[in-house]
Amino acid sequence: MMETENWQLSNPILGLAVVGATFLLFYIVGFVSNRKSSSAKDLYTGGGNVGAFTNGLAMAATYMSLATFLGITALILQLQVPFIMLWIQLILAIPLITIIYGTSLRRMGAFSPTHFIRDRYGVTASIIAALFMILVSIMYALGQMIGIAITFETLLGIPYLTGLFVFGIIIVGYITIGGMAGATNNAAIQMVIIALMFILPLGAIMKAVGATGWYFPPLFYSDMVPAMLESLPTFFDYQFSPKWYFSIIPALTIGALGLPHLAMRVYTASNLKSARSAMVWFAFILGLVFSATYAMGFVGVYATATQGLVISDGDADKLTIILNLVYNPEWVTALVIAGAISAGLSTLSGNLLAIGALISQDIIATLKPNIPQRLSLRIGFIAIFAGGLVSILLAIQPPAFLVVSILWAFGLAGVTNAPLIIVGVWWKEANKFGAIAASVVGGAIYIIVSPFVFPSIVLTGHGVTDGMGLSGAMLAVPISFILLIVVSYITNRMPGLQSKLTKQSDIELIERIHGWKDIKSYRYNSTVGAGITVVVSAAVAIWALMPWGM
Amino acid sequence: MKAYKKEVQFTIWMTAAFILVGNVGLVFSIFPVDAMLLGFPVMYIVPILMGWFGVFFLTIVAGKIGNRIDDEIDSENDALGVSDEVKDV
Repeated sequence: MMETENWQLSNPILGLAVVGATFLLFYIVGFVSNRKSSSAKDLYTGGGNVGAFTNGLAMAATYMSLATFLGITALILQLQVPFIMLWIQLILAIPLITIIYGTSLRRMGAFSPTHFIRDRYGVTASIIAALFMILVSIMYALGQMIGIAITFETLLGIPYLTGLFVFGIIIVGYITIGGMAGATNNAAIQMVIIALMFILPLGAIMKAVGATGWYFPPLFYSDMVPAMLESLPTFFDYQFSPKWYFSIIPALTIGALGLPHLAMRVYTASNLKSARSAMVWFAFILGLVFSATYAMGFVGVYATATQGLVISDGDADKLTIILNLVYNPEWVTALVIAGAISAGLSTLSGNLLAIGALISQDIIATLKPNIPQRLSLRIGFIAIFAGGLVSILLAIQPPAFLVVSILWAFGLAGVTNAPLIIVGVWWKEANKFGAIAASVVGGAIYIIVSPFVFPSIVLTGHGVTDGMGLSGAMLAVPISFILLIVVSYITNRMPGLQSKLTKQSDIELIERIHGWKDIKSYRYNSTVGAGITVVVSAAVAIWALMPWGM
Repeated sequence: MKAYKKEVQFTIWMTAAFILVGNVGLVFSIFPVDAMLLGFPVMYIVPILMGWFGVFFLTIVAGKIGNRIDDEIDSENDALGVSDEVKDV
């Protein structure tokens, strides 16, 4: 990494004390909440009895990772406005999960998307889906690990690798031992910390650079626009074609629908009405903090363009911390660092918890239903720790921007899981052959065209676009939908396969999770709807293969 | 039949509305606008405002309609004369 200036706290003790105090708070909240939870179901769904406001905050905290503090601002520095346009639609995740399948899975009593896939498509499909979900969670955790190492690099001035191993292992150990306790209450508190420690310091930074709207940072920075346009006239340019903006929908909007740790939050609601209220709170809080991150990115670009601030490429992920170091007192920066670590912690514990549940519940307990509860729990703990360890090892050679691996994981979830859940909830004909074909072939295509495996086989050649999975998902997501629908439709009509299918129980499951007590053949059975989906998907996939002109 | 149709149509139209409101940038990339609003370029601030308040507004609407459709499904179930009440928890 290029070092033009060494950005770090001059008083690391202060930073460590603040970080330590935050950890202590989480531990106490976890300890107190944990005394109430007694079963494994409590552990994963908080007893299914969480209020709408707490749940909405927890949803937002789980969703907002370290990327909010470090990653987004870095890519705004790099890509400018197109990246803001890309990020805006991420707010759709929980609302779309709730209306498309969240309430149905809540009614069913599923505590993970893989649980639904197992009941709907059988064991083989659910294990394939679980394996892909583990990869998704590890890539997601990787982004958090990079962020944590960068944060400690700035905090203590220690090299990246040392910070990665020492603090990575401490945090993974913390999550393995205590992080599973009171996860929802902690996530809600973390959301408040994230919001305060991001927005208040931003206001102070804006005041320091002379913005008059510092009292409401998320939206009131228009008086900086003329100076920005003067020194960097291209800042507001869209730069890319409509095709690039369209590819965001399959990659990230649909991708978010397949993220395991996110959907799990919908099931913690005490009832369906509460789940719907939680989505309202989620949208309000997330919109507030997202808008503040765009403002932070804007101020960062503004400071480099007009105030002579120099930030090297290697330091881009540190933009938020650097702005605080330059314009705010050190104790404020220490609070910001604690906020960044909270953000990473809530998401990382969500990811690692998902890995633990996937391996112990969705794979091992599915294959060997008779293993003792104690062994199963122990496997869960080992899986959580191993997942953390793998993400640490992957972070040794990190991608250029920490957000890239996270957004790539969205696409993989969108290819391998989202179609199975969406079509599985809304179309009775979807069956296990379609599901397996969609997940395996779609997932393989997505991985092959990513720049990480065969760098020469990519769709656009534009590094960040391929790396974030925008181009890959625009091809693989529609292929996955087509395979699921077409293969199911054909295999349902092959007499030789009828004994291997579970049509009647599939039909009963679908009617039940939509709230019906009777069965009607016309419901959730539209061949026209399936046909339209295939035609639209085919058009999108062909469009993805045509030249991107980037 | 009525509640089923409502449920399907609500999900399709609501999904489309959410995707549209969250992706105003896509619309502007096709139909660029060269104007200012509240001191910002329209193509910058409108997607941000829609991505916050537009989505927030839609979640309120979606919550209300979703609850109403649940009630209608329940009442169609009751009309069946099914004796064992299975209310969702």
